Amino acid sequence: MNKLTSLMAVAAFAAAPALAQDAEWETQGLTDDAITIGVMGPFSGNASSYSKALIGMMAYYDKVNEEGGVHGRKLVAVQEDTACDSAKGLAAAKKLISQDEVFMLQGNSCSGVALALRPTIEEAGLPWIVAHAVSDSISTPLAGNIFHGVPTGSANGRAMAAFVLSKPDTENVAIIEHSNDWAHSYSNPARDYLKEQGVEPTAELTMERGQTDATAQVLKLRQNKPDFIIAALYEAETAIFLRDLKKYGMGDIPVMGTAGTDLENTLKRTGDFDTVKNYYVIHSYVDNLDGEKMKPWGDMIHKYYPDEELSTFSFVSIGSAEALVSALEAVGPDLTRSKLIAALEEVRDFDTGILSDPITWTPEDHQGVKGSAVAGFVDGEPTVLKAWGQPY
Amino acid sequence: MPSARQRQLRTLLFWAVPALLLLLPLATNAYTQFIVNGMLISVLVTLGFTLVIGNLGQLAFANTAFFGIGAYASAILSAKLGLPWIVTIPLAGVLGALGGFLASSAALRGIRSYYLAIITLAFGELMRWAYLHSKPLTGGTDGLPLPREAMFGISLSDDTLKFYIFLAVTVLLVKATLNLMRSRFGRAVMAVRENEIATASLAIPTARVILVSFIWSGFVVGCAGALFARHVGHVFPESFGMLHLIASFAMVLVGGLGSVLGAVLGAVLLTALPEYLRAFPGMEELFFGLIVAAVLVAMPMGLASLLRRLSPIFVERYYREES
Repeated sequence: MNKLTSLMAVAAFAAAPALAQDAEWETQGLTDDAITIGVMGPFSGNASSYSKALIGMMAYYDKVNEEGGVHGRKLVAVQEDTACDSAKGLAAAKKLISQDEVFMLQGNSCSGVALALRPTIEEAGLPWIVAHAVSDSISTPLAGNIFHGVPTGSANGRAMAAFVLSKPDTENVAIIEHSNDWAHSYSNPARDYLKEQGVEPTAELTMERGQTDATAQVLKLRQNKPDFIIAALYEAETAIFLRDLKKYGMGDIPVMGTAGTDLENTLKRTGDFDTVKNYYVIHSYVDNLDGEKMKPWGDMIHKYYPDEELSTFSFVSIGSAEALVSALEAVGPDLTRSKLIAALEEVRDFDTGILSDPITWTPEDHQGVKGSAVAGFVDGEPTVLKAWGQPY
Repeated sequence: MPSARQRQLRTLLFWAVPALLLLLPLATNAYTQFIVNGMLISVLVTLGFTLVIGNLGQLAFANTAFFGIGAYASAILSAKLGLPWIVTIPLAGVLGALGGFLASSAALRGIRSYYLAIITLAFGELMRWAYLHSKPLTGGTDGLPLPREAMFGISLSDDTLKFYIFLAVTVLLVKATLNLMRSRFGRAVMAVRENEIATASLAIPTARVILVSFIWSGFVVGCAGALFARHVGHVFPESFGMLHLIASFAMVLVGGLGSVLGAVLGAVLLTALPEYLRAFPGMEELFFGLIVAAVLVAMPMGLASLLRRLSPIFVERYYREES
């Protein structure tokens, strides 16, 4: 017995430095009154407009801090610029992890940068909540510490197809898309969903970026007479396509567009309401941006960022910030990285009050948002819809 | 010109700097080591660029194309053919050299000045289009990740291990370029820059000089591309666009056009500067532009000219400052 005790004592002594190191790692970036969160985004460069996507999250941190923080700890954001460039993004991540020693990471626009960061952050092991970039490959295959807090490309693609099939008697579905990966990230999951429901697209057409005329595609569609068209096109090409649809007398066929287009912006581009009256787009929120349900969130952003001009991007990261705070509250004052990851994996059907679909993270699936609402014009007014003819 | 003793001192200095750099990982963390690794890559990119644009005097901007070719070659050979990454470095250099050969064909057909600039720029954009639209090979817009790999039992995601490999490749290629530029061939390169017709009248095969310069430039920058692929671990088409070209051009000018020492100084300064400017979010681009402009106004011949004024040991053989 004495021998066994001695052996255990020696083993404990030998393991002590490693355990101490683990304990130190678990609480790195944490003090009695602060949780440091590394926030990466494109604050400079060509894609700097995407940095607006972090405003909502930052404003939410400010709101939580003003209300006393989480278990007495304030959320302290350390911002780093990725410039939407993989090398600069990696430098930002390494700085936050090894020099600033933040507790966790949240944010990230630009899927390419996030994909490049994945191995480094996965290896570092600290929790990372992706709050804007949509590529499925960021969080699939599963990485224990990486969580997706917005609908991914596949969630949006499936939501598009689900909306299309929610229109009664829809059997003949056509797809028009760009030939790039961005378009495929919407159209391929949409195709999969249609197939699962026993619907095979009857026409699959391509419209290249920069094309200023869609006559050839529209004439093919006229022969095909689809009930619904799925359009994975950028906004400029969408406007051209809708204009030509109307020109050839097909303006009554509904068209389902991606989150890359905005309903009112598309109307501005075409300058003709008749072209967009049957156009629908993916819309991840519970209401129109100027709707009643969004007003409190807009007011919150303006309270902390008075000069912010609100756009779709301004709200995108709020939902994941809410889910984070909920998980931090669930962990309690004795916070560690492992406990936070475990708490995030317990988030179920979390209604953010802003995202149209709830957040659910499980140990097997870290892609939290599985669907999205749709926006379209109903009686001339932009309206958020759950399904065909069903306002949100 | 430096004396024999000064030349000895220069040789000593050349080897002392990398020898001291071997100790650098003792003083860095993962972030600073990553930046230092980026500097070594930039040194090679700038070196290859300055060789053609500075030493040979050709207004050619295919540098980013060579860089992309090297990076994608390394990523494809690693990810698709399963070759160890270290083996892909010289192979990426060879493919970069092939890119150099293709780019030189325009110069060999007598295309010069702005016309050569436009053709080589188009070559770079054509390559980027190819990366975007060859999805089965390059991964398209999703890019191509390099497989995880280990050397000597250490993961290649380790920035210290990468540093030693990058340092060895950089020292080797800088030394080879220095030797090349000090040779009879280097003298011919300078002669072509000064007066191509007069050079040809001396029975120097100017076409061959141009060809070999482009090929060597492509090789050096192609190798840098392979290092870059492992540095970021995931190769994307956006990394090889106009912004990268402008940054490399700024490094060449700030360091000193046509100077090997200048390539090193320009690359080190302009890789480090944006990292220091992280402290001024939203103002980085403004400060970066101001600092580059200030350096060029104060030292039109680049940072290398400052060192040359300090000591003759920094004077490069056959290098001639523009007046």
